[in-house]
Amino acid sequence: MAEMSIAEALRQAIREEMQRDPRVFCVGEDIGITGGFGGAFTVTLGLADEFGHERILDTPISEIGIAGLAVGSAMAGLRPIADVQYGDFLFCMMDQLANQAAKMTYMSGGTVKVPMVMRAPVGSTRRGAQHAQSLEAFFTHVPGLKVVAPSTAYDAKGLLKSAVRDDNPVIVFEHKLLYGSKGPRSEAGSVSPIGEVPEEEYLVPIGKGITRREGSDVTIVGKLLTVYRALAAAEKLAQDGIQAEVIDPRTLVPLDKELILESVCKTGRLVIVEEDNLTGGWAADVAAIVAEEAFFWLDAPIKRVSAPDTPAPFAPVMEEFYVPSEERVIEAVKALF
Amino acid sequence: MATEVLVPPLGQTVDTVTLVAWYKAEGETVAQGESLFAIETDKATLDIEAPASGVLRGVTAQPGDEIKVLSPIALIAAPDEAAEGPRPPAHPCSADSDTPPAPRPDRTTEKRGRGDGRGRIFISPRARRLAEEHSIPLEALEATGPEGAIIERDVRAYLDAHAGPSITPVARRMADGAGLDWRGLTGSGPGGRVTRDDVVQALEKAPKAAAVVTAPAEINEAIESIPLRSVRAVIAERMLRSATDAAQVTLTAEADATALVKLRDQLAQDGVNASYNDLFLYILGRALTEHPLLNASLEGDTIKVWQRIHIGLAVDTERGLLVPVVRNVDRKRLLQLSEETLSLVDRARAGQCTPDELSGGTFTLTNLGMFGIDAFTPLINLPECAVLGVGRIKRQPVMVGDEVVGREMVWLSLTFDHRLVDGGPAARFLQRVVQLVERTHLLMA
Repeated sequence: MAEMSIAEALRQAIREEMQRDPRVFCVGEDIGITGGFGGAFTVTLGLADEFGHERILDTPISEIGIAGLAVGSAMAGLRPIADVQYGDFLFCMMDQLANQAAKMTYMSGGTVKVPMVMRAPVGSTRRGAQHAQSLEAFFTHVPGLKVVAPSTAYDAKGLLKSAVRDDNPVIVFEHKLLYGSKGPRSEAGSVSPIGEVPEEEYLVPIGKGITRREGSDVTIVGKLLTVYRALAAAEKLAQDGIQAEVIDPRTLVPLDKELILESVCKTGRLVIVEEDNLTGGWAADVAAIVAEEAFFWLDAPIKRVSAPDTPAPFAPVMEEFYVPSEERVIEAVKALF
Repeated sequence: MATEVLVPPLGQTVDTVTLVAWYKAEGETVAQGESLFAIETDKATLDIEAPASGVLRGVTAQPGDEIKVLSPIALIAAPDEAAEGPRPPAHPCSADSDTPPAPRPDRTTEKRGRGDGRGRIFISPRARRLAEEHSIPLEALEATGPEGAIIERDVRAYLDAHAGPSITPVARRMADGAGLDWRGLTGSGPGGRVTRDDVVQALEKAPKAAAVVTAPAEINEAIESIPLRSVRAVIAERMLRSATDAAQVTLTAEADATALVKLRDQLAQDGVNASYNDLFLYILGRALTEHPLLNASLEGDTIKVWQRIHIGLAVDTERGLLVPVVRNVDRKRLLQLSEETLSLVDRARAGQCTPDELSGGTFTLTNLGMFGIDAFTPLINLPECAVLGVGRIKRQPVMVGDEVVGREMVWLSLTFDHRLVDGGPAARFLQRVVQLVERTHLLMA
């Protein structure tokens, strides 16, 4: 089995799917240009040499154009993997994604399918407020879209392959600090979750979460980068005798509610960690689900650890304060005992 | 400036009241004069009006709480008045967002756990569930959780501390009934469980307790445990005092009520609807005027013979016996008595009588005729001197001259306190009542 970064795992997923199915193609800005990075974070690096510029399609800087092309070609029978350089630019694509992609199957009574994938890097990485947002909650709120958020190389490959094969539009959120990209695209403060990725064919099913660490005293739910914050916090908490269970839902829509509820029923405590702003966030929704469905199993209030309700700051020291830290997770957990 | 909501004073005899309900929730807007909450005294349930307009805040009393009169139980604040003076921000769920939160307990020195000091216990849903599964009273739990709440580990700690031999339910009832501490027993059942036989054996060894043991089939359990409080507590206290403190003698006499029945029918035909109670009140008004010694009370070592005649009417209500008082009975026309009685009885049954309407009687009338009771020995409503019990009016064969004729007969039972009055005057009074029942035209005289 090969050791791979998430960027490499995603690249392999795309390669395998493009080899398997001629309808699969990539579209985005600077994803195939000779001498380029292979997209903003090297995911498509070298694929243009293998598959040609017809299937690794560079576009002008027009996000709504990329999204429109993806929706239209998917409706017409292709299986596009669209790429946006920063998740923040998904706002430019909102009409295509929320009004068109998400609604077509419903409005056509199931006769029209939109089997597109929209890949989007998120997370605050010293690029300022317009290149830092975590937009997952905007999309978990739109019925008709599936939303995945892989945090390991194994899941990145398996989930992207499942996304390509899904007949629904799937938004794939990738965290900039988790790509493990090398060279000029390596990120300061990267977690580099390099992991073993099977060379052979495998899929990670959409809608199945995973327990990253078992524990009996508190459930910590994280996604993307905050899974690692939660795991680091759990190690420290263990030294204080608190056994934290860390859950990574991997898919946000449809959410593996059962996994979270079962864990909370075991531990009686829940802390949700996410990088998005607090208000109206995904963490709020998880908290509501647990309050509704596992209230009588709770032994303490549900806590959210998230970014404050401000744009992401540009100054590194302030950004460090802004993104939920391991220490904040520990503090939140300890307040429940 | 917030206005305090006080429990109003309710006459001289009321010290504490029970809060029945809030009509407004914390944070709700209320207008001055609107019903704000209901209280129950030993005699009545009353709606209390809001003393000011504004927003209800700082509620400190919950339904069921017993509260001293004149104590503050909430505030009415101006709508835009977040709180008086500078206050730290309160937790949005805190029961009294208008009073400063209690200092956060230091968990190393303080075990709060009994809630916010106002009867609320903070306990996690998980802990509550576990406590309920094991029938553990929440008051018994010590809180070590966040924000002074009882959490699962506190319930587990209680369970560990109270772990002992298990016992079968039957054995437990027997042991508890005999006052036997079964925790010290060695169980012979599966897993060392204490069984019925173990308890029987233990009780046989303890000869004193053995007499208490009864076969399990005879063990009775209360289907309901009703705390003796409010109206019931007052009845219990008064009746016992009446039975033990007064020298009660009951005289009975049978009266021929044929004329009274006829009078009532005639009145009804002419549009005056009076009950037998109304007629007896009317008769008592006249008879007591002539026999003032029966319209008296014993207060300390003084017999007070009253000028005014206020007759209490025993009313059977859902909440228990209530005795609303009809005032100045001797000065009122029958129709007036009838209207007043009707309204008093209705309000007594609805729990709406004021404390003043339920006190100040000088004599009591009680009527069990509607239940088919012929004669009984009513208890005096102390400190009054006497009570008249009226039985059912029943058509009976009676000798009139040498002939047997059908007459409407009624038994009258007069209980009097022999400390205040002797048998002679009491008998003469009853005789006069009988006469007025039999010869109703004398009411005109």
